[in-house]
Amino acid sequence: MSIEIESKDVDVRKIMSEIRERIAEKKRGLYTDEEIREIAERKLEAVLETRQFNPDFLKDFKTKSEVWNYTFNPETIYKTSRGGVGGLLGTIRNLLKPIQKLFWNPTPMIAALSRQSDLNLYSVQMLTNLTLELTRMNLEVQELRARLQQTDATLEELRKRERALESLAVLKEQPKSTS
Amino acid sequence: MTGRLKLGFVVQRYGVEIAGGAEYHCRLIAEMLRDHADVEVFTTCALDYVEWKNHYPEGEAILNGVRVTRFPVARQRDILRFAALSDAIRSPHHAAADEEAWMDAQGPYAPALRDHVVRAAEEGGYDALIFFSYRYWTTCRSLLPSRTPALLAPTAEDDGLYRLPLFRKAFDATTQFVFNSVEERLMLETALGRPLPGEIVGVGSALPAAMDEAAFRRRFGIEGPFLLYVGRIDLNKGCPELFDHFLRYRKETGSNLTLVLIGRAVLPIPQDPSVRAIGFLEDTDKWNALAACMALAIPSRLESLSMVTLEAFWAERPVVANAHCAVLRGQCRRSGGGLYYTNYDEFRGILETLEGDAPLRARMGRSGHAYFEKNYAWPVILEKYLRLIAAARRAKAA
Repeated sequence: MSIEIESKDVDVRKIMSEIRERIAEKKRGLYTDEEIREIAERKLEAVLETRQFNPDFLKDFKTKSEVWNYTFNPETIYKTSRGGVGGLLGTIRNLLKPIQKLFWNPTPMIAALSRQSDLNLYSVQMLTNLTLELTRMNLEVQELRARLQQTDATLEELRKRERALESLAVLKEQPKSTS
Repeated sequence: MTGRLKLGFVVQRYGVEIAGGAEYHCRLIAEMLRDHADVEVFTTCALDYVEWKNHYPEGEAILNGVRVTRFPVARQRDILRFAALSDAIRSPHHAAADEEAWMDAQGPYAPALRDHVVRAAEEGGYDALIFFSYRYWTTCRSLLPSRTPALLAPTAEDDGLYRLPLFRKAFDATTQFVFNSVEERLMLETALGRPLPGEIVGVGSALPAAMDEAAFRRRFGIEGPFLLYVGRIDLNKGCPELFDHFLRYRKETGSNLTLVLIGRAVLPIPQDPSVRAIGFLEDTDKWNALAACMALAIPSRLESLSMVTLEAFWAERPVVANAHCAVLRGQCRRSGGGLYYTNYDEFRGILETLEGDAPLRARMGRSGHAYFEKNYAWPVILEKYLRLIAAARRAKAA
């Protein structure tokens, strides 16, 4: 008497293959750019270390640029925020510009600060992209690790099947003593 | 030799307190055969399987109609030495002496038992000696070439130990093998490089007259669908992975499934309302739990048979098994009564499928039950044992 090879009533292989197809369908293309952006923005703490990074870090950088950055142009250093008196002060400063330039050259400083303001913007953009990319890589690593596990299991199964078939070939050549 | 058969069983531990593993398997077979033969069991006085401390009194006793002779363990297992030697034999460059030392450290070291069994085999007073578990000292040192037919139920797991040359002597001295599964047979035949005489048998179960789902729910206050785990709650049984997968599944899907754990816990259980550990239960409660559950989880990677899987088949409950265990995977495919996962995504996919498809659960339950009745019902097991004993006697007589 032998143990039957596979159930005829329930096709377990087929059910498992359907389950795996559904998983693959969900994971197809891994995640869309939109999903990654959403995950990166909503769950920054899942990717980065919360003790070192504020979860709202990225959002703040994108929406509150006035908090961390400044705007700078050649006129900024001559501007004033003192209303009507300020207007008079600004006129005087403009009139004295040529005299001021006799003492020092503000142009390189103005250029450097303008450039720094632009660099800050680029840095934030880069940080955003890096966060997205890091999240994408993290998700890909998780996915690939799962696939590797599946491949390992399949490989192991195939090896066993190969050995089984080999031994069956031997069994055919040599009759068993009993069974 | 004519008339009633005389059979001797050799096993590392034996007692009603041992509710699983090869020892329980051996007890069920001995009790099944007592109506057809004079059955005697040779075992040690140990109950504890970690250090083999002597627990039962030495000498003869009658247990459920079976005569049991117990021999003392002469040296308890030194855990640290055993662990060090286990590492040593895993190295590809170890010596034969390392394997011998490992076996002596493994135990249960009972020279009086070995001497008794070897003498009995030489004297030829038994129609057959039936050994359980190849890996223990009691089998490895007592199963030697003799005039008495020897059956061995290896209960081998896919851990590679069976490849050690240390075991060749016992395997070569075996007249007929009593395999638990197709996978076990292939594994051993591949390792030994030859076809082995014997049959795939396994074991039946002490089946209940009836199961009462409501009684279980009332007694333990469990409502709603639940996934059941039965067995030692242990790292080696894959429980931490089951906890992680289950809690993640609940969090991600919002499922109201509960995980109910039956068995002694040897590791911390997550403090979560969805995980209920209710300790070791009597057989009646265990069967009632099987009747009440949605499915049975078997997260272990190393199983030689998994009797609780067979019991779930009989109770018409689908099994969610670890696919890394070839035996479980094979049992699921052959029975149609279980699905198997290699990672969390598959675990989730299986639970989603089972939770959402009651007709499939019922179909799998019926298929598993039919598989049990065809292959593991007591008359089938008895017939196979009697056939194997007859074949072993013929082989010795030839």
